Amino acid sequence: MSLVFQSLVLGVLMGGLYALLAAGLTLYFGVMRVVMIAHSAFLVLAAYLAWAFTVQTGLDPMLSLVVTVPLFFVLGVAVQRLLVARLRPATLTMMSVLLTFAVALAVEGTLGFVFTGTHRRIPLSYSGARLELFGASVALVKLIAFGLAVVTLVGLHVLLKVTRFGQALRATMQHREAARLLGVDTDRIAGFGFGLGLATAAVGGTALALDSTIYPSLHWHWIGPLMAIIVVGGLGSVAGAAIAALLLGVGQNLLQIPLGTTWAQTFFYAALFVTLILRPQGFFGGRLAQRF
Amino acid sequence: MDIANGLRIGALGAAALLLVAGCFGGRPAEGGAAGDGPIRIGVSLPLTGDFSEPGKGVQRGYEAWAKYVNHNGGLLGRQVELTILDDQSNADRVAADYEKLINSDGVDLVFGPFSTRLVIPAAQVARDYGFLFVEPAGAAAEVFNQGFDNLFYAAPAVAQDHYNHLADAILAMPEATRPKTAAYAAMDDPFAQGTANGLKEKLAKAGIQTVVDEVYPPNTTDFGSIAAKIADSRADVVVGGTQYQDAVNLIVALRQLNYQPKLAAFSTAPTNPEFPKAIGAQTEGILSPTGYTPEADYPSNKEFVDFYTREHGTAPTEDEANAWTTGQVVAAAATAAGCADPSQECQRKMIDWLHGNEVDTVVGPLKWDEAGRPQGAHLIQQYVGGKIRIVLPAEAEEAELVYPKPAW
Repeated sequence: MSLVFQSLVLGVLMGGLYALLAAGLTLYFGVMRVVMIAHSAFLVLAAYLAWAFTVQTGLDPMLSLVVTVPLFFVLGVAVQRLLVARLRPATLTMMSVLLTFAVALAVEGTLGFVFTGTHRRIPLSYSGARLELFGASVALVKLIAFGLAVVTLVGLHVLLKVTRFGQALRATMQHREAARLLGVDTDRIAGFGFGLGLATAAVGGTALALDSTIYPSLHWHWIGPLMAIIVVGGLGSVAGAAIAALLLGVGQNLLQIPLGTTWAQTFFYAALFVTLILRPQGFFGGRLAQRF
Repeated sequence: MDIANGLRIGALGAAALLLVAGCFGGRPAEGGAAGDGPIRIGVSLPLTGDFSEPGKGVQRGYEAWAKYVNHNGGLLGRQVELTILDDQSNADRVAADYEKLINSDGVDLVFGPFSTRLVIPAAQVARDYGFLFVEPAGAAAEVFNQGFDNLFYAAPAVAQDHYNHLADAILAMPEATRPKTAAYAAMDDPFAQGTANGLKEKLAKAGIQTVVDEVYPPNTTDFGSIAAKIADSRADVVVGGTQYQDAVNLIVALRQLNYQPKLAAFSTAPTNPEFPKAIGAQTEGILSPTGYTPEADYPSNKEFVDFYTREHGTAPTEDEANAWTTGQVVAAAATAAGCADPSQECQRKMIDWLHGNEVDTVVGPLKWDEAGRPQGAHLIQQYVGGKIRIVLPAEAEEAELVYPKPAW
């Protein structure tokens, strides 16, 4: 019983992290129908920057967010304006896979060149610290990562729902031509949308670095599950992706008990297949990118 | 007949001579034209991808060895020259790399890559061309079951035997303090799993109950749920058949669940200099099998440690040592055979010599059975007072085994 509860707690924490890591992917797809293979490479880049920051300054890795979030926003706008915007609209989705695949390789190669292939982990005094919750252990670092996820996702939600920029962004997602007719500068908005997505990668990468060992090729292990999450959640829906991430995270952790790690890992892909067969538009997002 | 024709015939004759010389090349180095250039050694290593960490260690070891040999008059009086390709930790790639090295680059000798998964396909290619294949890191049972007669593992023991000294020490404990239950977590990798299975078999036979036996795919990065299972079992002993990041992540996850075993042993990771940086002070008491210690007093080891430390500023670890050992073994074979060239005859001579002889290396004297298994066991190291100390076997002991281990 305690094992089931412990696994449930771990699953929720992991699901929260997954939701944060996948948030950017849904934005790129929602705004511009871009499949961003390089998202997880940027997560690892942010994780490396957090590691380098802590090793150089001795300060907490979370403080690196002050630099990385704006940096990644600008980087995102640049990637969109200089690279993605140049793809032909007719083949955008397919070509964006190739383009961002190349970006991912470039990021990985640069990381390997600058930081070497050595596996790194941020030395944290509280890496093993934990809280007791009804007999289950909750690791402090996982709780912080979960907190970062909640703050970021709620912030994103509010930004999209309440602000004028959010309205313009949603309008751009829903109908680009109509948005333009209403005076929305859709090119600029698309750039900002991309920047916003990459800014979530800065937060996600830092959250990831708190509790994992990082190395340049780590991103290949992440992109598959993250893609599965946004498809199951409904492409383009931040809330849908968050729900899917939680369900898949909990499901994987619980299945681990009877099935073992190898089979539990296939759960993501099984969910992906089932989604594509039964409900290709995703379970929680409704029609493709129609609402948030 | 004009001059041009004469030239042509002359050129033809010269070409034929060269061809003949090429075919029957590989006479001993002192014997003239064929053996004057450098000895070219081909290697493929996982410099990127999953095994990039140990792969680079092996690369440093090979390069240090080559430099050392060249400083000291070369091999058979010739300089050695390494050609190192990157196989990206990919088993298809590694076979193609050796194919290229032997076939189109025409190297004289080959050295092995890192890790069982890459060694087997690479050794296959080497065997097809009749090449001697000495390798620094393929220790799993599978390597030696393929019927390779050209393969030699340049380390003291195969994976299954890595924990032998630890098993003996546990079984020799008095009944009252001896652990009663054990949890095993092993990567689905022939080497990593082999180490854990070797210990599991011995402990299980002696009545130490296996309460968790998890196998996880190599791409696993989240160890929360595996750690939950182990913590829930409250096993006295935790054994990890691990590489690097998996061990680090598993240890942190176990600490987060406040699981405190009496004994914790992990393969590979604790021998890595990055390990204490990642784990911090909580390394205390962690055990690991190791094929190498810089303090060992084998004659060539001191020279190796001095040379390597001068070059790199730090003492070598196991990966560098195994690479250096590979160099020593191949050099011994080439010296004994009096040749270092790709001809079947020369390669066969070297293979036959290694089957019948012992080689002194930085990890001690090595000799092999007919399948290339080295006939030794690994040392057991433990973090004692923040330092790596050899604790088993008794004759190599630098510090006493700490049991039960302090809380992490």
